[in-house]
Amino acid sequence: MTIALKEIGPRSRAVAAVRRINVAVVVFLAFYLAIGLLQPAYLEPAGVMNFLRRAAPLAILASGQLFVLVSGGFDLSVGSLVTLTVIGGSMLTANDPSKTWWAIGALYGIGLVVGLINGAVVAYLRTPSIIATLGTLLSVNGAAMMWSGGSPRGYLPDNFRMFGRFVFHDVPVIKIFPVAIVVLAAVAGLAWWGLHATVFGRRVFAVGDNARAAQLAGVRVEFVRLCVFAISALSAVTAGVMLGGFGGVSVDVGRGLELQAIAACVVGGVQLMGGRGALVGAVAGALTLTALFTLLTLLGWPQPLKETAQGLILIAAVAFGAWRRRRGG
Amino acid sequence: METAALALEMLNITKTFPGVRAVDDVSFGCARGEVHALCGENGAGKSTLIKILGGVYRPDSGSIRLDGHEVAFSHPVVARRAGVSIIHQELSLLPYRTVAENVFLGIEPARYGLVDRRRMREGASRLLRRLGSSIAPDSPAGDLSIAQQQIVEIAKAFAIDARILVMDEPTAALDRVDATRLLDLVKRLSSEGVSIIYISHRMPEIQVVADRVTVLKDGRTVMTAPLAEAPTGRLVRAMVGRELSDFYPPRPTRAPGSAALRIRGGSNRRLRAIDLDVRAGEIVGVAGLEGSGKSALGRAVSGDEPFESGTMEIGDRAVKARSARSAIEAGLGRLSDDRKREGLIMQQSVRDNAMLTQRAFANPLSSPTAEPMSTVVADRRLKQLDVRAASFDEEIRLLSGGNQQRVIIARWLARDPEVLVFCEPTRGVDVAAKASIYKIMRDLADRGRAILMISSDLPEIIGVSDRIVVMREGGVAGELQSGATEEDVMAIAVEHDQRPSALVH
Amino acid sequence: MSDAEALRLTQVERRGSTAPLMLLVGSVALYVGVALWTGEIKMLETDGLIGLLQRMVALGVVALGQTFAILAGSIDLSVANLISVAAVLASFIMQGRAEMMLPAVAAVLAVSALVGVVNGALISRLQVNPLIATLGVGLILQGLLSASFTDFAGSVPREFQAVAYGAFGVVPYSVAGLFVLAALCALTLATTRFGAHLYALGGNAEGARLAGIRTDLVTIGAHVVCSLMAGVSGLYLASRLRSGAPWVGRDGVYDLESIAVVVIGGTLLAGGRGGIWGTLAGVLLFATLDAAFNMMGVSAYPKLVLRGAIVIAAVAVYTMRTRDPVA
Repeated sequence: MTIALKEIGPRSRAVAAVRRINVAVVVFLAFYLAIGLLQPAYLEPAGVMNFLRRAAPLAILASGQLFVLVSGGFDLSVGSLVTLTVIGGSMLTANDPSKTWWAIGALYGIGLVVGLINGAVVAYLRTPSIIATLGTLLSVNGAAMMWSGGSPRGYLPDNFRMFGRFVFHDVPVIKIFPVAIVVLAAVAGLAWWGLHATVFGRRVFAVGDNARAAQLAGVRVEFVRLCVFAISALSAVTAGVMLGGFGGVSVDVGRGLELQAIAACVVGGVQLMGGRGALVGAVAGALTLTALFTLLTLLGWPQPLKETAQGLILIAAVAFGAWRRRRGG
Repeated sequence: METAALALEMLNITKTFPGVRAVDDVSFGCARGEVHALCGENGAGKSTLIKILGGVYRPDSGSIRLDGHEVAFSHPVVARRAGVSIIHQELSLLPYRTVAENVFLGIEPARYGLVDRRRMREGASRLLRRLGSSIAPDSPAGDLSIAQQQIVEIAKAFAIDARILVMDEPTAALDRVDATRLLDLVKRLSSEGVSIIYISHRMPEIQVVADRVTVLKDGRTVMTAPLAEAPTGRLVRAMVGRELSDFYPPRPTRAPGSAALRIRGGSNRRLRAIDLDVRAGEIVGVAGLEGSGKSALGRAVSGDEPFESGTMEIGDRAVKARSARSAIEAGLGRLSDDRKREGLIMQQSVRDNAMLTQRAFANPLSSPTAEPMSTVVADRRLKQLDVRAASFDEEIRLLSGGNQQRVIIARWLARDPEVLVFCEPTRGVDVAAKASIYKIMRDLADRGRAILMISSDLPEIIGVSDRIVVMREGGVAGELQSGATEEDVMAIAVEHDQRPSALVH
Repeated sequence: MSDAEALRLTQVERRGSTAPLMLLVGSVALYVGVALWTGEIKMLETDGLIGLLQRMVALGVVALGQTFAILAGSIDLSVANLISVAAVLASFIMQGRAEMMLPAVAAVLAVSALVGVVNGALISRLQVNPLIATLGVGLILQGLLSASFTDFAGSVPREFQAVAYGAFGVVPYSVAGLFVLAALCALTLATTRFGAHLYALGGNAEGARLAGIRTDLVTIGAHVVCSLMAGVSGLYLASRLRSGAPWVGRDGVYDLESIAVVVIGGTLLAGGRGGIWGTLAGVLLFATLDAAFNMMGVSAYPKLVLRGAIVIAAVAVYTMRTRDPVA
């Protein structure tokens, strides 16, 4: 468009900024208020901390998925990687707490390999990421089944489960302080820095917007792709370690998480075709989704219907984004 | 005085978008069989006016009349069915479907829902013959040359009995031979009673084919006149409001230095044994018809579709430009001919676009605005290149073509390359911006860089180059010094050796 | 790459049109080769070959539908869950009673068509990304199904089991049915206006719109066909398993595999080019691979791992030659 726009004054810039991010935050607060009305315990400091603890894995997954989405792709394999992490964790530690750190290290190594494979297939074999990561999803799930022989052992040592479970008690003001929040803060902070405050982050945006132009301008597009899928995979392992602390070991622990992560990002304003998105949005979206699920549980919705709700949210969020784009141009 | 109603009349059309009046009380008419040229800078309102005619926009006020009857187009399809067809710059044929299927897209002759292929084929043949073409209706559209595809687009228009044809820069992607053929076709169609609105930046063509010319500026009609009263100088003055004489930059003051770019025996799938020198301080223009390999040359030099054999030197260093990145590292930059697909990062800011290449090479973990990518430095460079934008923070897609081009130039200059390749540097850029880009190129050369300019615009090649290399069929066919005429260039490009003074390899 | 070059067919893309033949030859070679190598000669006899063709039916029918969706420039990831819904619904309504066969089939087809309309409308009217729209719808279906059924539901009467087990002499009804459906689909694509418009939409949506084609209706039509095929496949599975369970679709990985066979068969993922016979050739390849794995004694879990790798490899063979970066 060659039409000259009138000057964008500071006030309308502020309004635009407010309108952009705050949808997810506003919606989250609305949901949380509703939760608080149904169950006042959630409004107490301990309740808030517990909520954040349970939202942490999804927020971490969304933070990683964000990089892939901004670069223009999708990572549908993170759910299966979470499953592999939990199952692998139990197989590697074999209930021996001294093996925990080594196991976690190995799991990160596996995650890195999976992420690099995803990135390589997309970057060098030019396979669309939907296909590539769906294929990885199959293989990783299969690998998890193979590893556990189909019947995963139900135990993880306590120090492994610490990341999900452990809370510091008797903390002033907030009463309890879960370790999970520390992990979340670290991951979110790192992700924010990586995407918004580094040259690398700018490259990710450029690649997602116009990979060909970025390539001709000298950006190593293949390397960017390898990195974003690796980041997503590592976030999946982190989320997996945390989820291992929440519940038992099962083959279903990661099912559907990739879609939840994508939904969280979309709710938070991330553009599916790449080139636009923000860490704040991804985290806010994750919190919103978790709040919604909590609300549904409180309202008595059966577990499977939560999948239905998720599908509806996903569609609604994307439709809303598309509508807004059509309106605003 | 005209007694018959004009085939097309647009009366007092006004269209406003938030913040700007794109079309301001414009009246425009076209008689049956008239070729009416429409000129103006980008942003003058031409494309908005045409979109209103084509049913994409609805005017805020004013009316459109066809043969005296008032019409209102609620949708592009309605306009097409009323006989108004727009041939856009970007061709929209389906490459994997046949010519016949493309021509009758949406209006396939059918019986009970089943397509009647025979009628479709015969219909397509008839239309193509009328246009003087012998394209086979069963060939896949993707197999055709650009000129042939354009013929198919025109056939598509006539498949629904177009009476008013709008052609938007139809020769932009054509070489001289095909362009001449197209102009002949335009004249023939107009003699058959088709009204043609011809939008072009190319003054020589307008002088050849138009009956009347209208110039728009800032959304208003500046002049409407028969061709006899509209010589090029007057048109350009009306469009930009100043004289044509400063259009092309003056000749360089110094003799060129040593060779900054040296190619010997460069070959690949599309190029044969290219020997080329570009010296520091010199602008070498590369001309040639479509298929001559000139764009392939640009891509080979910049590593995008590299040479497979031969040698290349930049400065006095041997260079193997196997990728765009390695070419940039070696000291070369290339402005692509397709900035939308290969240059612009649309949703990023002007500044981000300008700093893209620097950021491609900086430490990935450093801040995006660390030295030398600081905002101050970037802004200074953008201002030096006369980039006009409300703010350098705004998204680059909001800028005009000429401004966008300047931002891309800023991007390439950031790494201070020794050699710069400009491919179609003023495509999609209006007249005023063209002049400023030529001046930028001249300045860069005067400051010691070697410039290779690849262009299909012959006047541009003639006006800006110090030396002209003419390509044909993938190889260098000849070389001319500045002062050569367009005929000289064409003679070499089409292998018509009528001028003994031309140097031939 | 200029518009000129973008619009010109390259040698690689031309190769796509010979894909069906190459896949056919490749599959035959693979099957015969592995059978000889593992000594499972009986797989080369009539029974073995018929078994191979039968293994093509479930995926084949879905893939026919997916071909329409992908040709139109869209994609359908809800098919797996829809298959489960179809199988369970059919079995549940029939409850083993022959007189309920017709109502059950009618209900399944109606539900499938409705899902297709919803998918198509979300994509064309609300402009939701096809991936997300169909993934979301799939999730919704899965949730609704799991909330209502946790195990096999009802049963299928003997008469209906004939669909999967009956035959004209050597040729099973199901295999014949697959090829008849395939022929119908191919005919539709080649001779009807709908087919022509489908290719146009996939090739250049904006151009199709400007030519006056109702692209939203075409999209919906493509998705209705796709969902109907998923429904038919579910009916077949119900017949074969003699009952329907909520996991049949997911277990068969029909979503990813239907996409993969369509792409291997030479249909462009972006749409606009390709066809039915390529898809069938792709299905044959997958069935052959499956049979080969069985002959070689590969057990269930490693097969899963291999499946993922094969899908990627099969698509990569095509996409590998693209020059431009891909997301």
